[in-house]
Amino acid sequence: MRLDEMAKLLELEALTPTCAESLASEDITQGYASDLLSDVLAHAPAGGVLVTLQVHLNVIAVASHAGLRAVIFSSGRTPEPDVVERAAEEGLALFGARADTFEIVGRLYQFGLRGSTGTLGSTGACGHDGPEKLGP
Amino acid sequence: MRNRDRQLRPFRMDLHVHTALSPCASEEMTPPAITAAAREKGLDVIAVCDHNTAGNVAAVREAADAAGGQPFVIAGIEISTAEEVHVLGLFPNVAAAERAAARVTALLPRTVDLFPGHRRRYQTYFGEQTLLDARGRARGEERAALALATSLSLAAAVALIHHEKGVAVAAHIDRPSYSVYSQLGLFPKEAGFDGAEVSRHLEEGSPRSEEFAALGLPLLRGSDSHFLAELGTVFSLAWMAEPSFTEFVLCLAGTGGRRLESPLAAREQGKHDHA
Repeated sequence: MRLDEMAKLLELEALTPTCAESLASEDITQGYASDLLSDVLAHAPAGGVLVTLQVHLNVIAVASHAGLRAVIFSSGRTPEPDVVERAAEEGLALFGARADTFEIVGRLYQFGLRGSTGTLGSTGACGHDGPEKLGP
Repeated sequence: MRNRDRQLRPFRMDLHVHTALSPCASEEMTPPAITAAAREKGLDVIAVCDHNTAGNVAAVREAADAAGGQPFVIAGIEISTAEEVHVLGLFPNVAAAERAAARVTALLPRTVDLFPGHRRRYQTYFGEQTLLDARGRARGEERAALALATSLSLAAAVALIHHEKGVAVAAHIDRPSYSVYSQLGLFPKEAGFDGAEVSRHLEEGSPRSEEFAALGLPLLRGSDSHFLAELGTVFSLAWMAEPSFTEFVLCLAGTGGRRLESPLAAREQGKHDHA
């Protein structure tokens, strides 16, 4: 989905409005949710969106390294100005959300975004539908 | 003060020791038991670093004093930051540690408020938080939920430690939980740490050792003891004039030839001596 649509539907506050504007038409198809930045570094899908509680400055370095397009801070967490500044320099779209991580990720999944492993549902790497094959 | 004339000697320091006050630590971690075990294991310096409190530090110092000041006890704390990073604060004296700790502990909810209607459930899940005297007798229990993370950011925690002229150390940086790397992915150079600690779990020759050495920070090795048997299983070997906080700070700075041996070398030495 387009980044600007995502921001609108999830009622996100753009913390780096210039970046959000220039990335508005970007098609986001994947996402990741984690508060452990070591995990984000290792597993977040490039081109995706990150949902996290973590507001430390390292979020920006890790997100850039992982090639993420946008970061959504959940549960009303607000990063310090230096974090926002660094994100603006890196061209990363930062958003604030009042909703918690579970709510945001659930909605993003409804919108068609998927995680990095893709082992649930019809997005499995081998093309088979997952859940129907489970069980006896 | 600098004792430039005095001979430098190697001292064994285990700067990460919990007492029974930490909910996750064994009740056997009493001031007399800790200090006796430290002497048995040949430790010259220990630092008491309970989670988010310094409530048993004075008692451990007193227990050591009762045995002729062996080992030298550094007053410390292990702060859980908002990022759930563990930071060791090592202070020049007990009063400084207690002042810093008071600010930290005040940020935590009370144990009784966590599980309404279940006054002891916190203890069931997380463990007892026993305040002890120098003889190891219970003198009460800590009411703040020490097992939880505080709302202090990493930067605020380091600033709080520095405000009391303390030394801020990134705890067990090789661990997969509650470490700078696990929580923040990369080591934040701007955080203002004075040192970093590797745990007893870091294996010799680990490729990460080089990464840690490249941080440009003094590297300590602490046991993070929660049980007596863990005390002194690893330690830092510090060449300094005497076991004191002042000497420790000079040692971190490398002043007058003082130095820390590489943590892995210290472990080798330990193996040797015990053989």
